Amino acid sequence: MKLSVMIVDDSPAMRSFVRRVLDMSGLEIERCLQASNGQEALDLMNGAWVDVVLTDINMPVMDGEELLQRMSVHSIFRAIPVVVISTDRTECRIQKMLSLGAKGYVTKPFTPEILREQLEQSLGVAHATD
Amino acid sequence: MQPIEVQEALAAAVEEVLETMCFSAVFSSSETAFPEQNDGCVLMAQLRFEGSPSGEFQLAIPMPPARTIGSGFLGKEEAEISDEQTREVVCELANMFCGSVLSRLEAKTAFRLSHPELVSVPCGTPFDPPGIARWFELEAGSLAASVSFRQAL
Repeated sequence: MKLSVMIVDDSPAMRSFVRRVLDMSGLEIERCLQASNGQEALDLMNGAWVDVVLTDINMPVMDGEELLQRMSVHSIFRAIPVVVISTDRTECRIQKMLSLGAKGYVTKPFTPEILREQLEQSLGVAHATD
Repeated sequence: MQPIEVQEALAAAVEEVLETMCFSAVFSSSETAFPEQNDGCVLMAQLRFEGSPSGEFQLAIPMPPARTIGSGFLGKEEAEISDEQTREVVCELANMFCGSVLSRLEAKTAFRLSHPELVSVPCGTPFDPPGIARWFELEAGSLAASVSFRQAL
């Protein structure tokens, strides 16, 4: 399955790293869109379908929490699985993001194997609940 | 929380992030500065964290090792990386180091990190942070990281 992926992070360096790790993960990436905050991601998704969203939490303009909330009430976007990538590995943060609708949570630092596992799991969860 | 716990968290966090995300090894680390650390110019990134406890994190690294680490992080040759990209990587490293340290020190309480900012430091200025610092020896030089808490330990 070839994936269209959206990477949302305010750090250009981190977006480049995630893109590289996706290539290293062995997943087939057909298209990779990038946004520097949640609002930019929503704007891009209005014009192009993505299979999965990888998002940071702390971002200016619209953070990861608000992005999840907006997507969860959108008639189309709520079907798109979201995986959070964050430095925060505290249990309360992870539980909060999952309760807002995230299908996966990856803590930095991470390896290509971890990202692939979370992506596959998230896509499986999303398909199972369709 | 004891200073030794912070030192251990700094050591583990920096080594894990550099090895996993930048494919860069730490040769050794110390609570005191390596002699070459205070020579030349350094990039210094700092950020604040809010939680329990709150405080500030600083990362100081000269340009040569910063460029080497940036090369590993971005998957590009050092010559292909601009100074701006190197600065972005240093800020992202500060963010990851700090998050990893805090998660090791307090695994149950959520924290919030500010956006890392580069601070202008005159060349030759010794890295003399107010909190608990640790120096790391890398292949291309060294770096220093420090944590200072608002509440005294």
